[in-house]
Amino acid sequence: MDEWHYQPVSDLEQSLLQRLRRFPREPDMLCYGIRSASALALRAWLACYHRFTIIGRENLPATGPYVLLSNHSSHLDALCLLSSVPLRRLHETFPAAAEDYFFVNLPRMVLSALLINALPFNRQGRTRRSLALCQHLLTQGNILVLFPEGTRSVTREIRRFRPGIGLLLAGTTFAAVPCYLSGAREAMCKGSWLPKPRRIILTIGAPRSYADRPRDKGSVLQICRELQCAVEQLQEGQFTAGSQPVPKPALSSSATMSGGPG
Amino acid sequence: MSPRAALHSPVFRDYVLLTFGLLTIAAIVLLSLRVLLKKNVRSVWIIYRSWLAIVPAMGAVVFLGREAVIIGTTLLSILGFKELARATGLYRDWWMTGAVYLAIAAVGAASLAPDPATRAPGWLGLFLALPVYAISFLLIIPVIRNKTHGQLQAMSLSILGFIYIGWMFGHLGFLANAGHAYGYVLYVLLATEVNDIAAFTFGKLLGRHPLRSNISPRKTWEGALGAAGVSMLMPWALRFSFPHFSAFELVVTGLIVGIGGQLGDLCISVIKRDIGIKDMGAALPGHGGVLDRIDSLIFVTPLFFHMVKYFNGLV
Repeated sequence: MDEWHYQPVSDLEQSLLQRLRRFPREPDMLCYGIRSASALALRAWLACYHRFTIIGRENLPATGPYVLLSNHSSHLDALCLLSSVPLRRLHETFPAAAEDYFFVNLPRMVLSALLINALPFNRQGRTRRSLALCQHLLTQGNILVLFPEGTRSVTREIRRFRPGIGLLLAGTTFAAVPCYLSGAREAMCKGSWLPKPRRIILTIGAPRSYADRPRDKGSVLQICRELQCAVEQLQEGQFTAGSQPVPKPALSSSATMSGGPG
Repeated sequence: MSPRAALHSPVFRDYVLLTFGLLTIAAIVLLSLRVLLKKNVRSVWIIYRSWLAIVPAMGAVVFLGREAVIIGTTLLSILGFKELARATGLYRDWWMTGAVYLAIAAVGAASLAPDPATRAPGWLGLFLALPVYAISFLLIIPVIRNKTHGQLQAMSLSILGFIYIGWMFGHLGFLANAGHAYGYVLYVLLATEVNDIAAFTFGKLLGRHPLRSNISPRKTWEGALGAAGVSMLMPWALRFSFPHFSAFELVVTGLIVGIGGQLGDLCISVIKRDIGIKDMGAALPGHGGVLDRIDSLIFVTPLFFHMVKYFNGLV
């Protein structure tokens, strides 16, 4: 008779705090249950309170790995993008969250690890290691939610995309899905703690991939520019469409109140 | 058992005073070791700090009454089984793990439900017959899934987990249905933990000869015998918990706790050594996992339960 082979889970002797901080996390039934329930509640909240609308949902690839990337101006952004993927792929969707902000204390860690399934992304120093982790997740068929601006923008303007996104996509077949979120900043701008009942619209653009690009500096920056252009086009498209009940920020009182310099 | 009954129960009051007295004495001993004898008591201090959380939590659950004890026991069983499943890797099979969770919940339900014939709290017949249903249920999971690969190991581990942790430890919850519930439940909890601590202390002070060298190198004959001696005295010292016990029953109670406590500890150690891990988890700082804490209780509780049932009945 052969011996049995036991395979203890890798976080067996780690405390709760260590288990929340570690990545990749071991799947946990209770954690999955709570996350699914909270995702349902979140979708209901967004639909009722923010009248969350998704345009171009058919652009999301039905299977396989892809990167969702969008402009970033609010804590609601990751929640909105998370709510746009099908529920059955919830546990394989990883929004990248700044390690220096979301993984520093217990409440934030519970929120980001348990409910959002966030990937701790190191913005300072160890960016390459975090990017390798992203690549690994994509190879395993997961969905990533990235904000290439690197931080929340306080104006309507989209900040310049960081090169990381180009480095991640150059020479790979992973699909990149550019998105534009409007209304999230008005609903909950940087520094505010309570969301206001503003409408949020997510426009999902056509997926693209950069398999034929070399992994050199020029093409990486080129990919960043192209993706930024794609997001900006979605932004313009949303306003020129005219059918969207989104007021022009110049005329909107909420936009000026939210502290934008322009 | 209810909050009102707890307030009027002299047994409950005496146990509260006793445990807080013991905790205070332990704190004084630790402090004097640290300050007067300059000993390094850091590791023991971490264990003690965990006790400071565990003891009031247990006291609160017993105070809240029968339902709280049964639900608390069921939750502890589920946590304990989860640790075993995570340690063996069974946890990756969510079907089997979920089925054992359900079976453990059924143990709690049988302890909560009234007996259909007598209307007495706790359906003893179902509780004692539950392994039949639970094992059948666990065995048909692979049949339902139409799967064979690795299923013998999964079935064996889940049956072990259910019987050993869910059902045997579940006797603690059912004990809350007994007429002398405060005496029984609190005695089992206190005496088993005192037995553990006595084994640890005697082992530290006098330990020379290893008890079972391959299983647990730190356990010694001196510790085991010292603990058994303390446990033989405990029923006499705490006779107010069960004033109706005869001398013979008191001796048997002492033997169950004194010997069963050590055996429970060693049985978990066998499992841990075979897997090749040190602790079952990290839920309780200094103690390890939940299973490392309740291991002695798993052995002691069912034996004590059936001893009580044989001599006195549960009423």
